[in-house]
Amino acid sequence: MILERFNDAAKRTVYSLQEFFVLAGKAIGFIFVKPFYASDAVQQMDAIGVGSIGIVLLTGFFTGMVLALQSSVQLKTFGATDYIGSLISGSMIRELGPVLAGLMVAGRVGSGIAAQLGSMRVTEQIDALNTLGTDPIKKLVTPRVLAALIMLPVLTVINDFIGILGGNVIATFYLGKPASLYWKTVFEQILNGGFTLRFIPNDFIQGLIKPFVFGGIISLVACYYGLKTTGGTEGVGVSTTRTVVTASILILVTDYFLTQIILAIFQP
Amino acid sequence: MTDEDDRRKFQERRHPSEKDETAMPRRARDSGRVRAAIRTELEEVAEQSDHRATRERAAAPKVISLENIYLAFDEPILENVSFDAKEGDTIVVVGESGTGKSTILKLILRLLVPDSGRVSIDGEEITHLTFDDALKVRQKMGMVFQGAALFDSMSVYENVAYPLREHTTLGEDEIEARVREKLEFVDLEPDRVMDQLPSELSGGMKKRVGIARGMANNPEIMLYDEPTSGLDPLTTATITYLIIKLQRELQVTSVVVSHDIRSAFRMASKIALLANKRIGFFGSPEEMTGSDDPYIHDFLGGF
Repeated sequence: MILERFNDAAKRTVYSLQEFFVLAGKAIGFIFVKPFYASDAVQQMDAIGVGSIGIVLLTGFFTGMVLALQSSVQLKTFGATDYIGSLISGSMIRELGPVLAGLMVAGRVGSGIAAQLGSMRVTEQIDALNTLGTDPIKKLVTPRVLAALIMLPVLTVINDFIGILGGNVIATFYLGKPASLYWKTVFEQILNGGFTLRFIPNDFIQGLIKPFVFGGIISLVACYYGLKTTGGTEGVGVSTTRTVVTASILILVTDYFLTQIILAIFQP
Repeated sequence: MTDEDDRRKFQERRHPSEKDETAMPRRARDSGRVRAAIRTELEEVAEQSDHRATRERAAAPKVISLENIYLAFDEPILENVSFDAKEGDTIVVVGESGTGKSTILKLILRLLVPDSGRVSIDGEEITHLTFDDALKVRQKMGMVFQGAALFDSMSVYENVAYPLREHTTLGEDEIEARVREKLEFVDLEPDRVMDQLPSELSGGMKKRVGIARGMANNPEIMLYDEPTSGLDPLTTATITYLIIKLQRELQVTSVVVSHDIRSAFRMASKIALLANKRIGFFGSPEEMTGSDDPYIHDFLGGF
């Protein structure tokens, strides 16, 4: 009895995973196949990218400030507060920028996508698309995935910059370090990280591959749960919650493994 | 049972279209508007019946054909379901709620694939088509969903224009002309509704826009899922009238899923009664009222 139930659950999991990867494969494959729903993609970039700038600015700025505030305590004991800039820039660009932007977008955009596609599913609009001869994956999923793949790195760069700026505020007004010194250490940190192909800083590579992957995770998880919605409006709520939880966990777990892989490849 | 009830039942059995003349005006005595709408509708039905007879004699080709369909999800939904729709036919699938009536439409659209059996459109079997080929076959069909299923991020105009933008190379002027034509066909004023969003429309208007979108591409097959459910009697009458107008003026083959027997009798050339996962009855409305089957009697008894 228990074994049977375990067997069923395992089968369902494998089946869901298969469905997810089929959806992912199609959605990404369709980026290169006509017809292109370019206006949908642009609209999604606006919704995902431009629409998320506000929360990204806010979280980035405060994270940079609190990071500077907390680490100043440690750095003071070593008399190393001069290097606060390099600490902020290293952690923002490589880690906090991508992960924070990812989590914020998962909460704001992922839930929105899941709710929208979910209600389209329960009101038969997905069936209507199929009936009208349109592949819903092509029309709905591909533009969202494409938009997220492009916009998440952009949001991350904004997040990084505003976070470092937040650190600058604390360094200058709390620790009394001149902005010139702060920014000098910021750039030193980037330069010390080493380069790929002689001119691309390794920190930037790490800081841009991550959000690209996170963008894919958020949009695909949201579209998957959205399209799979059953059970009316209640089902839409369930899909939305699952999307945010699954995408957030996947972002944090993937972040660890990505860091390992990137360090192995790009660090001497 | 009163004398009047007896008399009405007798009339229903003898002539299905007559029952409305006795029953409907009694219910809506005050409203001349309702009476006028129903009168025109019945005139249409009379004409339609003539059409129906001539077409049946001509032995029209099969447009939709279901053969021995078996479909199960967790438990069987349809067992050994077969029927054909010839060109110009209007098949109304009736049955109790939850008997898999809408499933039949999804099978015809190939949104679902039967576990066994064949579904053919214009003689071509569609059960084994690839996803892309199925999209092409669907262009022959227009579907009107129960809740209209209008795209709520698009205006009425964009909704009706959608199939045209997807599958034709019409220019913007031609698309606008076609959208106006279809909206006028369903008795909506194009200039008033075109820029509205679906959320701003009433239930009946949504249905009409749904019909306009379904027919925008001039399909040869129209499918309707519960076209009159959740509508008031007047709107029900006008939607029924629209479906009849569409089949008469454009000669489309239609499959209507409904549990509204009254409007079913008005538009059907054949009625399919779905009971116990099978087609329990398939024939003209006249044959249905003349049937001795106790289940059919019970089923019609409510009306």
